[in-house]
Amino acid sequence: MKLEKCFMYAFNMALHSKLRSWLTILGIVIGVAAVIAIVSIGEGMQQSMTAQLSGLGGDIVTISPGFSRGAGMFVMRGGGGEGGFSGGAQATDKEIVLSRSDLQALKGIPDIALIDTNIRGSVEVSYRGKSGKVSLTGVDQKVWSQITTSEIKNGRMLDSADQNVIVIGGRLASSYFDQPIGINKMITIEGSAFRVVGILDDQSTNIYMPIQMAYQVIEDKKNGIYDSFVVKIKNEDQLDEVIAKIENKLMTARHVTQKDRDFSVSSSRQFQQTRAEALSSLNAFLVAIAAVSLIVGAVGIANTMFTSVLEKTKEIGIMKAIGARNHDILLIFMFNAGFIGLVGGIIGIILGTILSGFMPALMGNLPIMRGTAIVSLNSIIMALSVSVTVGVLAGVIPAYQASKLKPVDALRYE
Amino acid sequence: MALKKENNVLLHLENVWKIYRMGEVEVPALQGVSVEIKKGDFVAIIGASGSGKSTMMNLIGCLDIPSRGSVYLKSQDISKLGESDLASLRGKTIGFIFQQYNLIPSMSAFENVVLPLEFLEYDDREAAKRAREILISVGLGDKMHHRPAQLSGGQQQRVSIARSLAGDPEIILADEPTGALDSVAGIEVLSMLHRLWKEQGKTIIMVTHNLNLAKYAHTTIELKDGQITKISENDE
Ligand SMILES: Nc1ncnc2c1ncn2[C@@H]1O[C@H](COP(=O)(O)OP(=O)(O)O)[C@@H](O)[C@H]1O
Ligand SMILES: [Mg+2]
Repeated sequence: MKLEKCFMYAFNMALHSKLRSWLTILGIVIGVAAVIAIVSIGEGMQQSMTAQLSGLGGDIVTISPGFSRGAGMFVMRGGGGEGGFSGGAQATDKEIVLSRSDLQALKGIPDIALIDTNIRGSVEVSYRGKSGKVSLTGVDQKVWSQITTSEIKNGRMLDSADQNVIVIGGRLASSYFDQPIGINKMITIEGSAFRVVGILDDQSTNIYMPIQMAYQVIEDKKNGIYDSFVVKIKNEDQLDEVIAKIENKLMTARHVTQKDRDFSVSSSRQFQQTRAEALSSLNAFLVAIAAVSLIVGAVGIANTMFTSVLEKTKEIGIMKAIGARNHDILLIFMFNAGFIGLVGGIIGIILGTILSGFMPALMGNLPIMRGTAIVSLNSIIMALSVSVTVGVLAGVIPAYQASKLKPVDALRYE
Repeated sequence: MALKKENNVLLHLENVWKIYRMGEVEVPALQGVSVEIKKGDFVAIIGASGSGKSTMMNLIGCLDIPSRGSVYLKSQDISKLGESDLASLRGKTIGFIFQQYNLIPSMSAFENVVLPLEFLEYDDREAAKRAREILISVGLGDKMHHRPAQLSGGQQQRVSIARSLAGDPEIILADEPTGALDSVAGIEVLSMLHRLWKEQGKTIIMVTHNLNLAKYAHTTIELKDGQITKISENDE
């Protein structure tokens, strides 16, 4: 029998099969839907993450005191302008600080374009009778606007001539106090009044002010002591080399070696990598779950095929009596299985696409999931080829059995 | 070999045994059957139920191979052929008509008749043309697109006759072709077979336990307990 005839026959057979045998494709449907939903969410995450992180700049390096010989990402923090990532590591240890001599050492590295010096602390703020504690970052207002990745929503960034002015985070401005804070409003920080010149386009409650003012406002911070340096390097491609240079220079300046190193140098790119790795292992885990349901689907198809071979035993006998060869029967049943897989795959893709449309809403609260799910052509092609392959593989054994049936025995079957 | 002496021997069974094994028990369905069937003969195999008629038919039709002895179809020993060659030989040389019609229920009459031609890899248009002609010749020109379930028993058996003729085989094998039909439809089928024999020169081998129907045949083989007890020819 010609190949296309085998296919037509298999198609016909599938069309006329009972509802019960169609129900067993549910396994494939669920498996494929899960794969599609998961992969599309994964791609959505990846995209939103790339979008978020590309804003961080690949040419920014942060130097902070303290060094942990463990998993780096949670200690290598204290990014200059982006309060979003800051947390536990700020000036934990009185003894370990960054000083003016460290700054001098950095200034001696020609690959560095700009250096922002930061101090950080928690301060008491009040506005129209309400008050609260928020974090404050003192920045070098001459370079901060060129280094930070924060975007201004209203007003302007700090600039060189500024003294008693501040830039505040979006949430502090909009909803931290009872009333929103607008541009040119005065707020009180630790008893002194400051004028708001800019509001950031973010969700933070941070306050940024010129570092010289910050020394006066934050307790315990002495002139010439810094919580972190944020530097912008001249050539992004040399990031790794420049990081090595910074480390060497600082080790010399601070009289430490690799062993007793007491400072950290991190770049947003490292952070990006760590996060990407975490994400991809999460993805792999989810895909593994989906793979399990595909296997369940394969077993379902195999089961359908076994049943179908039993049901078709008589038909197989008839076909053999009227001239079907073993491999005709084999092909017909393989095509049939592949076809069932294909249909399962198509339904699964449709279901998965619908599902992944709902996913961002379900996962909306997770910070990692800011993007929308993306069903790519790749994942569709992948899902289809997987489901057809699964169908065919599941059909191999039953099809082989069918083809080996002796015509007499098959004809006797009722 | 005996069959060489007469070239018009189409089928030759030589001391054929068929023993079915059912667990420990051995059932000898055929016990040393030898017979020659000539090209162009109309043979009726008669005998009581369980005498081995169907078993013999299956061997003649290459649907099964003997436990002992040999079956020669057109001088070829079928037990020496591979499964694929056997299937092709079957498809080209033999047309089957079964008691229960054995049509494929999901296919129309037309599709059922085309199917053997597809196994023989006929050209589509030629196959369609041939199937249509044959269905018209058995009087089903207006029922071609009916499914078996939409046809009467007699009509289904005519579809099955049409299917057996599709590949233009030399031999038509019919195992109790009228067993499921009323007498009118049965006689209709029989006269159709008779015509194929007379007008088209087909070799017809038919199993029946109805002696009235056996009268249509030229040669009658009587089976009893797996052995041939009598071969008679009717030369009027
Ligand atoms: N597949 C089989 N397995 C076991 N015994 C069988 C099988 N086919 C036929 N027989 C036995 O062989 C004998 C001959 O059967 P069969 O050729 O069908 O007789 P008939 O067609 O003349 O009624 C019977 O006793 C039957 O029970
Ligand atoms: Mg019988």
